[in-house]
Amino acid sequence: MDNSVGTVRANGKHSKTDGRMVYLSTKSPSVPNLNEAYHGRFGRRISPERPQSQLSPLSIAEDPTNASLIDLYGDDDDDDDENENENESQSAEVVQNSHKSPEIESTPAFSRSVSTGIQGSSEYLSRDHATKDLSQYDRYGFKKQNAHITQEQYHEWWEEYSRYCIRRKRKWQDLLAKSGLAISNNDVPDRFPPRSEKLKRYVRKGIPAEWRGQAWWQFARGQEKLNKNKGVYDKLLAGINARSDKVSGRDLEVIERDLHRTFPENIHFQKQPNNNEEPLMIQSLRRVLLAFSDYNPKIGYCQSMNFLAGLLLLFLDEERTFWMLVIITSRYLPGVHNINLEGVNIDQGVLMLCVKEYLPDFWQRIVTKDQSRNNEFLYRLPPVTLCTAGWFMSCFVGVVPIETTLRIWDCLFYEESHVLFKTSLFILKICDQEVTAARRMARNKNLSKDDSDIEMFQAIQTVPKKLVDPQIIFERVIFKRRNSLNDLSQDEIDRCRRYVSAQRLKFKNYADIMGDRSTANENTKRDISMGSDFVENALSSEVYGFRRSLTAAHWNNSIKERVRQIRRK
Amino acid sequence: MSGSRTGKSLTKYKIVFLGEQGVGKTSLITRFMYDTFDDHYQATIGIDFLSKTMYLDDKTIRLQLWDTAGQERFRSLIPSYIRDSHVAIVVYDVTSKKSFEYIDKWVEDVKSERGEENVVLCIVGNKNDLSDERQVSTEEGERKAQVLNAKIFIETSTKVGFNVKNLFRKIAKTLPEFQKSDNVPIDDSTSKRKPDVIDITTNKEEQDQTGCQC
Repeated sequence: MDNSVGTVRANGKHSKTDGRMVYLSTKSPSVPNLNEAYHGRFGRRISPERPQSQLSPLSIAEDPTNASLIDLYGDDDDDDDENENENESQSAEVVQNSHKSPEIESTPAFSRSVSTGIQGSSEYLSRDHATKDLSQYDRYGFKKQNAHITQEQYHEWWEEYSRYCIRRKRKWQDLLAKSGLAISNNDVPDRFPPRSEKLKRYVRKGIPAEWRGQAWWQFARGQEKLNKNKGVYDKLLAGINARSDKVSGRDLEVIERDLHRTFPENIHFQKQPNNNEEPLMIQSLRRVLLAFSDYNPKIGYCQSMNFLAGLLLLFLDEERTFWMLVIITSRYLPGVHNINLEGVNIDQGVLMLCVKEYLPDFWQRIVTKDQSRNNEFLYRLPPVTLCTAGWFMSCFVGVVPIETTLRIWDCLFYEESHVLFKTSLFILKICDQEVTAARRMARNKNLSKDDSDIEMFQAIQTVPKKLVDPQIIFERVIFKRRNSLNDLSQDEIDRCRRYVSAQRLKFKNYADIMGDRSTANENTKRDISMGSDFVENALSSEVYGFRRSLTAAHWNNSIKERVRQIRRK
Repeated sequence: MSGSRTGKSLTKYKIVFLGEQGVGKTSLITRFMYDTFDDHYQATIGIDFLSKTMYLDDKTIRLQLWDTAGQERFRSLIPSYIRDSHVAIVVYDVTSKKSFEYIDKWVEDVKSERGEENVVLCIVGNKNDLSDERQVSTEEGERKAQVLNAKIFIETSTKVGFNVKNLFRKIAKTLPEFQKSDNVPIDDSTSKRKPDVIDITTNKEEQDQTGCQC
């Protein structure tokens, strides 16, 4: 392991002039330059009409002084390459590295950047983000620190994780070289290898940040979609422009109100203090969302799509962002954003079936016996699903910290939506563990149902926000060989979706015909349950469906059993 | 109606915040909880949950605050959570007539889920610092609150921190905990001094801030 990795490159001695991703920095010397990069690139690159290439990490700056961290990625003198074993021990490398931290080496540079900010010469103060301490922002422009993570915690983690990213990028470069794929001049591969087990493993370990846009685009087969719809996006924009403001869609106002509420903490979505113009990111976001609302009136605009489009815009240009949004809302999360939100309800029903199957202890906590016995929970979803619904709608944007979100997205575009279910189940599992541990601590307390509900909700709100290190999810869930969740394939999720959808329809029809008694008798009865006879009556009309669905609910078990048999052999 | 209570633990009240997107629900909660304000909060998707201990008149209660998504389509997700809330705070933006008209729908949801008697309904007109852009007068708000049979009507400004504590004080006063004088006081000798307890005990400066400022 090359010990000089951190030192030399962080000091920029080997910097390449074509370095990208300037603001990758934490305490590196590139920090102060985020300022210039941000400033300069904005003006030059992006036309106010419709930027072809949006502000993506890869196009931010070409200032040679900013190359330090990129260089970290790109250096070839590392002898780590011979390590072919994909299950390499991370910890060993970390130990080797631990005595040598870039943080220590780059301290002078860091303090320089800080003092610049503090001294704030009049020239500096008058400039855009000089008044903001740029070291507070990560490589995508998000604030590192928040209510759940201190800057120190962030740096402590990032120091290690950034090394991991460097190693991974080297692996990717090797993989591409072996596949005979060239990395073009701008350091981004035009093409990634065809799907394979190996590639899947690479994706699960994280796509290099500066290649993400291109990789997502390929894995989601964006180009196919775009080729079939050439010019559509421009036509949509023309249509919007041609329409007078008054007539423009019902979604205009709703979209407008969310533009600044998408990533208020992200530097690219903020106004520059000395410039009253609207940030270009906000303009792009508006166009993408308006165009989408015209393109798919069934969905129009649904809150949470602002997060999807916002994050995509950091990695892809506007038109591609638009088509990715189309792909996400139709292929990966069908119906989830529709006006009636039925898709998200179905997915929550699926998630609850999975919880029942995979997390039986947690299941006990969130439903009553009655609800669990019949399938009522598929129709009257347990309260916990209003939290988890948001996880699906925004694909974890804003739910888990950004680097973790991006790793989930890497898998989402390669492996489709079952990744979201797996991740959700894992997070719920940690919540369960946390609550159990807390309860053990306070053994003397006999918690009421209310108290335990509060505990649970508190955990569900805070646990994901603390998952700053993607490895927690990816080492413990996605890569774990002997993991019951491995059975949860995309096929299973799709079948489960069909089942839940049919069940919900049955309940709904029955409730419509009979009148939902639980709401009719609201004043006298506070019981959430619809009553078992209600449910049974609802199902008796179509017993077959129910039986089939019973198998559906249990087929996990049968698959598990098959796997066990195979293993025994 | 009563809060739930077990053994020595605090009485808990569930408060749900409803209202159109961007009227300031999250902002109202943030002002109450942390006494801070930002121009923009990330849009709430689904629901956010916060829990806070509140201290008033020698009594301590636990509040569960449920912050909801404002967009119309999310209404279909929310009802079952309103079901067992004690207080429903329906918020509108005094600079948006539309958000004001919209409160009828939310109130309708609350009533159909919870009935007239089982919930303390509050109507809150937020952003009252923006007097130039005002589209809904205080009188209109008061009248509507009356028609809707709301127990509390108040105008607030989360930006300048106007009337927010007052709102929660008013809410507390409607809770059974603060109505019966013979209520056994909860031992708050410890919790009282805790930094995470919000003390909204009436102080003189703020006491009479009701209605419109201007």
